[in-house]
Amino acid sequence: MKRAFALFISLTAYVCLLAGCWSQRELTDLAFVIAIGLDKTEEGEYLASLQVVNPGNVAGAVPRGGGAGGVPVSIYTSTGDSVSEASRKATEKVSRLLYYAHTNLVVVSEELAREGLDEVFDAMERHHQFRTTAKLVIARGHSAKEVLSVLTPIDKISARQIIQMLKFSELAWGETSNIDIWRTVRDIAVSQRNPVMTGVAIEGDPRKGKRQENVQSSVPDARIKLDGLALFKNDRLVRWVDGPTARGMMWVLERIQHTNLTVPWEGKKEAIGYRTTRSKTKVKAKIKNGRPSISIHIIAEGELSESRIPINLADTSLLFRLEKELERSAKEDVTKAIKAAQREKTDVFGFGAAVHRAAPRLWKKIEKEWHDRYFPELDVTVTTDMHIRRTRMWDKPY
Amino acid sequence: MESSKINVRQLFVLIVLFEHGSAVVIPLGVSAKQDVWISILLSLAIGLLLFFVYRRLFEYYPDQPLTAYLPQIVGAPLGKLLAIVYITYFLYIAARVLRDFGELLLTFAYPETPLFVLNAIMAVTVMYGVYKGIEVLARTGELFLIVLYFLAIIGFVLVFVSGIVDVTQLQPMLEEGWRRVWKTVFTETLYVPFGEMIVFTMLFPYINTPTKVGRAGVVGMVLSGINLALIMAINVAILGPDTVSRSSFPLLDTIRRVQVADFLERLDVFFMITLITGGFFKISIFFYAGIVGAANLFGISSYRRLVYPLGLLILILSVVIASNYAEHIQEGLKIVTFYLHVPLQVIIPVLLLIIAAIRRRFNQPAK
Repeated sequence: MKRAFALFISLTAYVCLLAGCWSQRELTDLAFVIAIGLDKTEEGEYLASLQVVNPGNVAGAVPRGGGAGGVPVSIYTSTGDSVSEASRKATEKVSRLLYYAHTNLVVVSEELAREGLDEVFDAMERHHQFRTTAKLVIARGHSAKEVLSVLTPIDKISARQIIQMLKFSELAWGETSNIDIWRTVRDIAVSQRNPVMTGVAIEGDPRKGKRQENVQSSVPDARIKLDGLALFKNDRLVRWVDGPTARGMMWVLERIQHTNLTVPWEGKKEAIGYRTTRSKTKVKAKIKNGRPSISIHIIAEGELSESRIPINLADTSLLFRLEKELERSAKEDVTKAIKAAQREKTDVFGFGAAVHRAAPRLWKKIEKEWHDRYFPELDVTVTTDMHIRRTRMWDKPY
Repeated sequence: MESSKINVRQLFVLIVLFEHGSAVVIPLGVSAKQDVWISILLSLAIGLLLFFVYRRLFEYYPDQPLTAYLPQIVGAPLGKLLAIVYITYFLYIAARVLRDFGELLLTFAYPETPLFVLNAIMAVTVMYGVYKGIEVLARTGELFLIVLYFLAIIGFVLVFVSGIVDVTQLQPMLEEGWRRVWKTVFTETLYVPFGEMIVFTMLFPYINTPTKVGRAGVVGMVLSGINLALIMAINVAILGPDTVSRSSFPLLDTIRRVQVADFLERLDVFFMITLITGGFFKISIFFYAGIVGAANLFGISSYRRLVYPLGLLILILSVVIASNYAEHIQEGLKIVTFYLHVPLQVIIPVLLLIIAAIRRRFNQPAK
């Protein structure tokens, strides 16, 4: 009897404990927020746009009930004085509980970025569901809401489309940067370096972009594209850089893997194309008479990808001269990038960190004035070292 | 006294689990910024000296726990008072670690569960383990150490493969000179976890080969110290000294940053397992030391009779000692360190050893 009673008690206890579902939620009760967009309203409040996955229209992708299926994502907006207030308020419009553990992208409007992002990230960093490995981009020219509203082909969820673009564009072209939120927060918090973020723009008509018809055309009315790098001074956006200057930044930040350089040859512009396979950047600080200076050394190797003029690429001395030309071209980009940052008085390269490592005592003295006084006048020496390892499938062009 | 014995290997396992316990998950010694690993290694060196003090005391009084030989060294009234202080200290630290554990789980995994429920589940498990005795705890430890090492090795590889380690963040070394490093040693890292080895003075009598106690202790402490220094160095190399010193759980932040091959990510569960296992052994060892001491001091035939009342006590204590996490941490860093750790881990044991050595020389047993 006693045994049976004990058994009963312990089994009852197991029922309570082993279920382990104190705050369990059914999958059908959750709304997966895949991206967050942040804008500022005219009244100065935050406007949060939450891109929520519409699960029935993503997996399987069989349109139900004939006609066109629904859209894969839905945007919910709400306003609030703080980021967390705005996101909480959104529950007034969503039929499910908002779930942030799968949020992979944060889009911040240019306007908000120019005012300062200091207070934006704390709520995200602090939230236990949110992951700071989410990517961060700046909406350029349009609001964050508009960017998230554009429907995209191939990757149906536009947040995923942007993440994939960030990843592969950095890998293959190198004029944009694939940056996690935690790196940005770290860079804002320390004085040794300032953050750089990628811009996202809309090509076409954003009003048409949010309709399902947008993805039913082979040339959509609106497309999302990555567009330039945003230079920040502390938490404020100060300037956009594009094209070769942006690539110059990426060289210094050691984030270039594959890119294509074109150089003139024998009077013809953009005659030779060169694709890098790998690259390495070394940034060193030197102190002379109490003044820091920086030397950057970039090494890259790659192959010729295109020749628009008939030259014999089996000729080693020619390749050697081509390498020199490539080195000059890369150096030009890098110098342009450094000049641009110096003009804005913001050290986005982490030269401050290099000085800090080389001379901790000196750094203590100059830390406060680093970006405004020392960095703009910093003496930077750039050396580049490009190697052409092979010339692909042919020796001579036709 | 419990008659069961554990062998040297099991003692070693318990020491390693105990030392990692909560130290691996909390921001250990982060006020030293990027030099935190130097602080930990220096604390290890000084902690070993303290350990030699504890071991020497045990050699003077083999087969007896700390609370039993205290009255023999300083005389009955004072000795018994000190024994009560030590027992209270062990139980209080058990409650503190239980609170740490509950708060950590609550913060990042179970935000809506009441603290009492989480603590109660852990407390019941600890009570059961301690009721079964030191031998069972030690054998469980042997199993779990393997699991933890397995996770640690996988975690290690993934962290490095994911390419987020930037060793330049560990530079400049000794930026503010040795002062900041030593300050961290003597205000934080020496006491937790190395000085806490004082609790093992209660367990030494259970070793079946007492001559090898020293070896197990030294190897266990050195291994743990190196591991802890390495883990904190990796945390700094990934997060940067600034982020580490802001974070509540640096190791969790490190693990959350791991992304390998687009699918090996969100390894929070590694952290959970480490936290729960380490927490279990740390609480169990403190709790065990507390109740064995109490049973011994008050002449209770079996310590098992104390498991449930005192287990309830630490459970309630763990909830009421602080009204919020910040208060709990403040108490830990300011009050517990200077009013409990320093006297009970350092001053009293050293004085005891001096008195015991003098007594031995003049061969005068206490009245």
